[in-house]
Amino acid sequence: KPIFSVDIHPDGTKFATGGQGQDSGKVVIWNMSPVLQEDDEKDENIPKMLCQMDNHLACVNCVRWSNSGMYLASGGDDKLIMVWKRATYIGPSTVFGSSGKLANVEQWRCVSILRNHSGDVMDVAWSPHDAWLASCSVDNTVVIWNAVKFPEILATLRGHSGLVKGLTWDPVGKYIASQADDRSLKVWRTLDWQLETSITKPFDECGGTTHVLRLSWSPDGHYLVSAHAMNNSGPTAQIIEREGWKTNMDFVGHRKAVTVVKFNPKIFKKKQKNGSSTKPSCPYCCCAVGSKDRSLSVWLTCLKRPLVVIHELFDKSIMDISWTLNGLGILVCSMDGSVAFLDFSQDELGDPLSEEEKSRIHQSTYGKSLAIMTEAQLSTAVIENPEMLKYQRRQQQQQLDQKSASTRETGSATSVAGVVNGESLEDIRKNLLKKQVETRTADGRRRITPLCIAQLDTGDFSTAFFNSIPLSGSLAGTMLSSHSSPQLLPLDSSTPNSFGASKPCTEPVVAASARPAGDSVNKDSMNATSTPAALSPSVLTTPSKIEPMKAFDSRFTERSKATPGAPALTSVTPTAMERDVHRQVVVVKEESLHSILAGSDMTVSQILLTQHGIPVMNLSDGKAYCFNPSLSTWNLVSDKQDSLAQCADFRSSLPSQDAMLCSGPLAIIQGRTSNSGRQAARLFSVPHVVQQETTLAYLENQVAAALTLQSSHEYRHWLLLYARYLVNEGFEYRLREICKDLLGPVHYSTGSQWESTVVGLRKRELLKELLPVIGQNLRFQRLFTECQEQLDILRDK
Amino acid sequence: MAKVSVLNVAVLENPSPFHSPFRFEISFECSEALADDLEWKIIYVGSAESEEFDQILDSVLVGPVPAGRHMFVFQADAPNPSLIPETDAVGVTVVLITCTYHGQEFIRVGYYVNNEYLNPELRENPPMKPDFSQVGSLYLGGVQPCKLGVKVSS
Repeated sequence: KPIFSVDIHPDGTKFATGGQGQDSGKVVIWNMSPVLQEDDEKDENIPKMLCQMDNHLACVNCVRWSNSGMYLASGGDDKLIMVWKRATYIGPSTVFGSSGKLANVEQWRCVSILRNHSGDVMDVAWSPHDAWLASCSVDNTVVIWNAVKFPEILATLRGHSGLVKGLTWDPVGKYIASQADDRSLKVWRTLDWQLETSITKPFDECGGTTHVLRLSWSPDGHYLVSAHAMNNSGPTAQIIEREGWKTNMDFVGHRKAVTVVKFNPKIFKKKQKNGSSTKPSCPYCCCAVGSKDRSLSVWLTCLKRPLVVIHELFDKSIMDISWTLNGLGILVCSMDGSVAFLDFSQDELGDPLSEEEKSRIHQSTYGKSLAIMTEAQLSTAVIENPEMLKYQRRQQQQQLDQKSASTRETGSATSVAGVVNGESLEDIRKNLLKKQVETRTADGRRRITPLCIAQLDTGDFSTAFFNSIPLSGSLAGTMLSSHSSPQLLPLDSSTPNSFGASKPCTEPVVAASARPAGDSVNKDSMNATSTPAALSPSVLTTPSKIEPMKAFDSRFTERSKATPGAPALTSVTPTAMERDVHRQVVVVKEESLHSILAGSDMTVSQILLTQHGIPVMNLSDGKAYCFNPSLSTWNLVSDKQDSLAQCADFRSSLPSQDAMLCSGPLAIIQGRTSNSGRQAARLFSVPHVVQQETTLAYLENQVAAALTLQSSHEYRHWLLLYARYLVNEGFEYRLREICKDLLGPVHYSTGSQWESTVVGLRKRELLKELLPVIGQNLRFQRLFTECQEQLDILRDK
Repeated sequence: MAKVSVLNVAVLENPSPFHSPFRFEISFECSEALADDLEWKIIYVGSAESEEFDQILDSVLVGPVPAGRHMFVFQADAPNPSLIPETDAVGVTVVLITCTYHGQEFIRVGYYVNNEYLNPELRENPPMKPDFSQVGSLYLGGVQPCKLGVKVSS
């Protein structure tokens, strides 16, 4: 079966091939080491194939790794482009339909399907800074996708009047070039996505004889080499010079049309021989040309004749070429279904220039490379503050640690095969039929609830703890039992029907003594559950009404009036009377819950008291309210069906340690089981802007909720998480607001209402903790410097 | 747009007598939580000649489906022998497992089933009318899962 495309991963450890499968397209990821070393090839323990993906509905024409290596893009005859990302090892997986023999060593998951083209996708290419993905198709268009926010389209380049069969980016990022069957090669500007020039002369005599026309731009940006061109009725590969798009030279020699041209990613200079003059030689590039005549030629731009020509390398035409990143190896694939690897030595090619030298050449020739994208600029931005430098370095170190940790993780993860939550897969299987939950639907049909055996994970490797599977029991339950100090004291919950029962609290004293002083542990939790009701809800009809207040942001609070006069659901207006047992003060007196409960079928399911004496009320519909004594209102702190919570995605702002296991009353109320549902990859189902908004709103809610519950530990946790999210997403204004609030007035001023502490934590201490987080994003270095200077002034006072 | 893919279908109790219920253990993966249930059907192909001999052994709704990998056991009764044409009763036939969402079929997995007499004598001289009490079914894998173009969309 033909293999249409091959691409080597930037780290050199694996490569991908794309081609025709059985009734579908096939993308396979292979291990590189058996190709490079014969010992590895013979070693049976080293896998050759790492992953096979049959998701494309038709032949795959192109596979390309992103420059960072995180993503793989594949485009096929099914008009789709699929973007793949590696997933952590969740459980054993086999390629279904291959009789279970082919096990996937690595797991790659499709994170995005890009639909737009109305014809076969022939080529895809990542821009040099990975912010854009370009794809070209037989529908005569080139589409530029926003690689940061799939599936957003930035531009559609229309202009070709024939099937577009090849794409290449200018290494500096200023242009993108495409070649099509309409006998033209068009160069487009990335600044405004308009046509810069269209070159037709070399292609006059061409016909659409090739499947692909893969062209290539040299790494120094000087030359663009086309695929199939004609010169005096002989097939050539035309060399186009960047200055003026001149077409004076070409590569001659192949006997049939040139299908693919690929430049070596390295720029070379002549090898320094001992004793020769020390005159620095001009740097040159290396280019490989593959053709329909089944032969391959390799050229150096400083020589007039090819370095090497290999005839009849395959049985059918060559389809794609890929160089290793170190420039010394090359993989070539062909329509005959095979792939060849060629090895070069430095003597043959020359001394490769390092990446810095290459950037220097770019800068000297073209000015700042990729001047358009600010992100790329940041990588060369001057760090003005030595503190920032320290944090940046630390972050890099952390990333390295994470990488090494993840490689260790994957090593140990493979041995976990077949074990799910302690039970082996075999046992689960045997018991499944008994355990399986089956119900009947309204029309009498059988309905089975499937058993969840693994969570999806497309997150980074370091968050491997997501693999824990909540098969049994709720985590909230396990947390309560493992905690040393019960922070919530469940008072005897009053069932909705027994509202009339009013037991006078005869034993408040007993309950008080059972309360933990801080150390005595489980005994207390057991005692607490067995103490009789210390609260007596009494049935009273009172005129006083509460307006439920939803705190969206501690700065802006909205008062939403509940509909008064809504039909009462029960004849009894339930009220609650709670006593703070510890202080023996009646906290809530005869407040009517009417407005909260009105209009829906909710009942109070549970009433709890936090360590700080804040009453929390759980309703049967999953909402939890807590009473804010200073404002005498009930605040909503948790809603199990909160769509905000489900849409929020802030995984990227979690520190690498298990920050999710933040304990405290808020966590217990909200219940950790609901969290795992959120880990699903919702990134690409919700438009990014909406996702950002919902995540922000959710995080702000959490911070406010923690504040109302007076849980300082959680307040700190959520505030840091919120700040980290802001830093990652670049919301400078809100970040500034937080810093300003935490900093307060530096110089003494009367009339300022700033309080130096919040929930028992010193605000300026919090700010100090925030600084390293801010320091990780170079964009905020001004903010960082300002805050730091202010803190220094305060400290010196 | 969610993506649902079938990871594995295991046949429990293979081989088994003809009349014993079919039991498949199906594992599948879903990239997002689905709003509705998936509908799985087991179809016994009575005869390769025409579809009128297809028997839908059972159809089951599976849900609710959160994101992640899931497993369930699909049990269905054995096919009704009277509906199977005599000539095709003993021999190799096909059992199909299909899954549909919102009425659109998006995956179909097939298994070859070999029905043959357990008693070697009967194998040599098969009676005119098939005696199903003597027949055992043996499943062979081999038919590729066929993924149809419908992606599970909300």
